[in-house]
Amino acid sequence: MGVSLRISAGAEPLWSERSGAFQRGRDAASPGATAPQTAHAPSIWLPLRFILTGLLALFAGLLGLVARPDLLATYHYNQHIIALTHLLVLGWLSSVAMGATYQLVPVALQTRLWSERLATWQFLLHVLGVGGMVWMFWVWNMKQVGHFGSVFALGVGLFVWNLARTLWRAPRRDLTALAIAGALGWLAAAILFGLAIAAYKCTYDSETGLATAVGVRSLVAALREVSHFMARFDQLGAMHAHAHLGAVGFFTLLIVGVSYKLVPMFALSQVQSLRRARLSIALLNVGLFGAFFTVLLRSPLKPLFALLTVAGLAIYAWELRAILRARKRPALDGGLVIFLTGVAWLLPVCALALVLSWPRLPLNTFTGQLENLYGFLGLLGFVTLAVIGMLYKIVPFLVWFGVYSRHVGLARVPAFAEMFSGRLQRFGHGSYLAGLLVVSAGILASQAPLVRAGAGLLVLGVGALLANVALMLRHLVRPQLGPPLSTKPADANAP
Amino acid sequence: MNSPTPTETAVWNALRSVVDPELGCNIVDLGLVYDVAIEGARVRVRMTLTTPGCPMHESLCTGAQLALFNLEGVQEAQVELVWDPPWHPAMMSETARALLAASRPR
Repeated sequence: MGVSLRISAGAEPLWSERSGAFQRGRDAASPGATAPQTAHAPSIWLPLRFILTGLLALFAGLLGLVARPDLLATYHYNQHIIALTHLLVLGWLSSVAMGATYQLVPVALQTRLWSERLATWQFLLHVLGVGGMVWMFWVWNMKQVGHFGSVFALGVGLFVWNLARTLWRAPRRDLTALAIAGALGWLAAAILFGLAIAAYKCTYDSETGLATAVGVRSLVAALREVSHFMARFDQLGAMHAHAHLGAVGFFTLLIVGVSYKLVPMFALSQVQSLRRARLSIALLNVGLFGAFFTVLLRSPLKPLFALLTVAGLAIYAWELRAILRARKRPALDGGLVIFLTGVAWLLPVCALALVLSWPRLPLNTFTGQLENLYGFLGLLGFVTLAVIGMLYKIVPFLVWFGVYSRHVGLARVPAFAEMFSGRLQRFGHGSYLAGLLVVSAGILASQAPLVRAGAGLLVLGVGALLANVALMLRHLVRPQLGPPLSTKPADANAP
Repeated sequence: MNSPTPTETAVWNALRSVVDPELGCNIVDLGLVYDVAIEGARVRVRMTLTTPGCPMHESLCTGAQLALFNLEGVQEAQVELVWDPPWHPAMMSETARALLAASRPR
């Protein structure tokens, strides 16, 4: 999308490539010339379809928690909590993260997305793969989880390939590009390891019946080898390691890297110490690398790598504080406030990470509840609020760009803040924060009614977000353009 | 009949119609417009953005050109985007500072 002006009997302004100016008449460019297209952004529908899918998955996931509060009020690792977790992690968080990445990477790194068509194919594979996986987790059919997981993994492969090619051709590779490249690597690792876990949980009785289909039989034999390899690991450790690859490697690294670009942009500030920012990214990567193996092997070195990861996040928070202290935009807008409250939830999450990494921690019911709380606050506290905060920036931008960009300078167009309700935003944020606190209390006290009440507040909060997104999308069908700004007499352009 | 040459005041006023949608403030009060040159029916503007890689890049620059082109007497509008000197908040007007200090969605 972008400004597109075409010649009309010499009367309309048109873009002259030669002079780099808008001209009209015979000196202008040839008929059909257009204004410079938006150089970097893909079609707004590419990120929007991922984002809308993600929002629906979040709402459905939270309704699931209202229906089944026992999933968090009691010890986890049953089929339903795994299904719900994958709905929230893959359906909500990864959908939005992928859509936003398709939008942000080309714009922030001043390049073009390598292939929009590939991204569209990925969306189809993503929806099919995630929908099928969640369903098959719910009914606990691990063979089908593996099949749908492979569809999802194929989509992730396209995503990683597309973004890697985009990063490769970016004119400059800064800290954000480095963090995104790292996040893509960790995402690929998380998916492959998840598939290996699924392979372990499958049975291979039918292998002998595949004698005629040689290729399929070889594949099944390879999966059985993977299954044998995975059998040497503690399965809880493997699942925890898999979860950390996705949650810390992909989501956290992505949030940290992208916020080093976006927070200074929104707050009118700049990164205050590049060295500090680099150190935070490096520590996160090193910490996660060690944490993956120590969690998987249940090694006593777990606290060391947990500490390194937490140190990376602490340095990130330190740099974020410095960026905000140096900001030239005194009033923080709602989106940024929501993002920062998300970052604030890192405090209890990191404290829990350190406690849970302790090797001599007794494996009792309360420890199980602490693990529930850790996962809940990490995904629905930190990551979700950070994502919602950024959505309040990305969605208005996408809609504004699609509807109003071409009218700038010609008519009054609304500002982002005028495209949704601030009151609804504050209500939704307050309700969501209250929901996090109440669910946390319910988890610690193992009280399902408390978890249900808190989940209800979360649903209210996300409902307000959905209503605001609907207000934003309404501009796509009913634009709110002001009167034309032209000072030319009505017949000034007449041929 | 020839159109009158646009005045400098009219040019600055036209640029005030271009609003940064993220900040909700026009590009003149934000201090993004460095200078304006009028040569008959040709107007040249030198401007910057708050940050390189700003996603509003094309919208604001093209919007500024269209706003200029809409002025009576303007036959050619040219906007040059520059990064030197880099934009600094001290370049904002009092109006912009007051707006940014108070702005929040209703």
